[in-house]
Amino acid sequence: MRNHVWLMVLLLLVSSMLVFASETPKYGGKVIYTMGTDAKTLLPPHINDSPSTQVVRHIFEGLVEYDSKMKIKPLLAEKWEISDDGLTYTFYLKKGVKFHDGSDFNAQAVKKTFDFIINGKLRRTSIYKERIKEVEVVDDYTVRFRLNATFGDFLNQLASSNAAILSPKAIEKYGNDYGEFGKNPVGTGPFVFVEWKPGERILLKANENYWNGRPYLDEIDFRVTPEDVTRALQIQSGDAHVSTRIPPVMYAALQKDPRVVVEKVPETRVIFLGINTIKKPLDDVRVRKALNYAIDKEKICKVVLQGMGFPLKSPVSEMLPGHYPVGAYPYDPKKAKELLKEAGFDEKNKLKLELATPKGRYLMDYQTALAVQGMLKEVGVEVDVRPMEWGEYVNYLFTGRENAKYDIYLLGWGDTLASNVIDRLFSSTNVPPLGENIGFYSNPKVDELIAKILREVNDEKRNEYLAEAQKIIMDDAAWVFLHNVQELILYRKGLKGLEWHPYEFLDLRKAWWDK
Amino acid sequence: MLNFIIRRLLLLIPILIGVSIVTFLMVHFIPGDPARILAGQNATPEDVLAIRERFGLDKPLTVQYFMFMKALISGEVKSLRTEKNVMEEIIPRFLNTLQLSILSIIISASMGIFFGIIAGVKRNTWIDNLVMGFSLFGVSMPVFWLGILLMLLFAVKLGWLPAGGKGTWKHMILPAITLGMATSAIIARMTRANILQVFHQDYIRTAYAFGISERKIIYKYVLKNALIPVVTIVGLQFGYLLGGAVLTESVFGWPGVGRLIAESIFTRDYTLIQVGVMFVALIFVLVNLIVDFTYAILDPRIRYGQG
Repeated sequence: MRNHVWLMVLLLLVSSMLVFASETPKYGGKVIYTMGTDAKTLLPPHINDSPSTQVVRHIFEGLVEYDSKMKIKPLLAEKWEISDDGLTYTFYLKKGVKFHDGSDFNAQAVKKTFDFIINGKLRRTSIYKERIKEVEVVDDYTVRFRLNATFGDFLNQLASSNAAILSPKAIEKYGNDYGEFGKNPVGTGPFVFVEWKPGERILLKANENYWNGRPYLDEIDFRVTPEDVTRALQIQSGDAHVSTRIPPVMYAALQKDPRVVVEKVPETRVIFLGINTIKKPLDDVRVRKALNYAIDKEKICKVVLQGMGFPLKSPVSEMLPGHYPVGAYPYDPKKAKELLKEAGFDEKNKLKLELATPKGRYLMDYQTALAVQGMLKEVGVEVDVRPMEWGEYVNYLFTGRENAKYDIYLLGWGDTLASNVIDRLFSSTNVPPLGENIGFYSNPKVDELIAKILREVNDEKRNEYLAEAQKIIMDDAAWVFLHNVQELILYRKGLKGLEWHPYEFLDLRKAWWDK
Repeated sequence: MLNFIIRRLLLLIPILIGVSIVTFLMVHFIPGDPARILAGQNATPEDVLAIRERFGLDKPLTVQYFMFMKALISGEVKSLRTEKNVMEEIIPRFLNTLQLSILSIIISASMGIFFGIIAGVKRNTWIDNLVMGFSLFGVSMPVFWLGILLMLLFAVKLGWLPAGGKGTWKHMILPAITLGMATSAIIARMTRANILQVFHQDYIRTAYAFGISERKIIYKYVLKNALIPVVTIVGLQFGYLLGGAVLTESVFGWPGVGRLIAESIFTRDYTLIQVGVMFVALIFVLVNLIVDFTYAILDPRIRYGQG
């Protein structure tokens, strides 16, 4: 008996050692990441799409970055100071960092990057130009940003991949030829660019001289396969190792496949029905509230999205710092009918609306619109669903105040900043044809709060303003608040160290193969 | 013959100008503002305006057309989306499509002609019915469905072939078969119909009357005459394949020219759509020209250039 006990103890010890041993990262191997769309450009400040971001985050680095909880942490800057008036940010830079082309990373490189962005015509120039007055080199490893006005989210903006530091040599070489620059990325990150065959692959290899130690993987090979189902099959067959945007219908089958791991992960993307708030009768808050009460958000998440979403509690995703859980409109068709009646609509005088929607842009977008149509019919609202191809849809929505014919429209929004969501989508000055407040929502109180939110440097205070704005927007029923989408990621068993960030970034920088 | 070639090549110029005008107009009439789409979410109003200005999208249509033609002639048309020279995008994609098309046309022509001959020779027997039944299946099977089924079987279950993507020759097999399925069915049907037609000709009846063996009649007289129109069909199908097969290329993640043009339509990459369509049109016309020459070589009765 005693022998048996000892044997058990020994077995346990050995097995626990094995477990530990297998959790020590190993070097070597290649990961094929199959994506739905090719990158547009690999020039960080010119990027406005997620596939390009996904790739450049492995090549480039900024002064700061987000962790997976979206908190700011240092990257190329070791620490920073913010002046009392909130107008000056001083960064103390990491020493001994080199770009892939051998040039040194220092304060001059930082200044050169931001001067290039601000003085250029890049797709993200205006965001930085608006904020930054000048970048000053204090000494080789100290750089100072002077802002035009206080901006609470300045560090967040620097965590964006758009603010990655570019090689000064590359800036000199390519200058304003963004096409060439976009094909020849040179950063400081753990992976070095090797080649890009458009529509086919982007190959990166390990940076042997990476300041934080060589990454575990030898290579990352980004391949392009537009069809969602095929991407899942590629992971199952082992032709690729990791992918995102897997169709939810395959979830159950993939869970049973021992070769792969399928995971449900959150995104910052919210899906909503925008409302044209200047068109009658949608200018009546009772009608807008009725629409919110009439829709069973839980059911849409469960049935239409097959569990790949959860109802919105505010216009800002729960994944973003600054989200305030105001609470969803409960499903209450009776109340919806009462409110509609108050607004002058009943069985005889039915409210008729057009619901415009893209088809295939967001997870189950058209199907969601059809579900909404059915639910609104229950409360006596007749909905005509109008599906549109994306380009046509964008055109339809950005016509401007005089030509805005739409009633309600399904749209999604993914972001990294709560302040941005509120400012871009609810500020009365950001309206089409150029702005993105497509529903022409306007509330002076919200405008006032937005001004405060953008200026406030103190996080706590800013979050208070954000909460206040979210409450008002919910109460005004500016949208029909639907859901926050989730995403399915799929990878081969044995691939470890992947990290998902809710702003649609799958981090392979610390990934390794356990096999 | 030389005259004919020169005339046909000269004809290319008005054809291409015509294509350029038609695609230019079509592209600009599709609703959708490329600047807005390119700017993407989170763009400031200045961004949208800057893109419009940068690519001359704010200018009148005629001006834009001449700007485009000028850039085209100097070979400096840039994609709105990637800002790279469009030919840099189109040529590698076209070469991929070419590879796939060649393999696919070899598969489909050999299968199609082979089964077409069998069905034609064994006309109105169960073999004929079986072959024609299969070919109906081949024509009507959605590429999408067939492609995914093939991948499920050969890649996921058996692990013999890769599931999509581009790499070794193995990556080409499944897309080539998928792509060739419908084409081979069309070729089989054409071959069969032509054989039947030739069988009813007087000279075949005469040959039978002379007591020539059936084997010899089929090989020497029927096939020789029946296969000439098949060359046209194979050539035309090849031309179509070179235009890129959007669905097959998408399902298998094959980086071909069809997918490139389709994607640029969705992103309203005006310049890339225009040059892409012109390029495909050029290839199509050239392939047709080659088919016409082959025709003359195969059939001594056909002569070009006179009258």
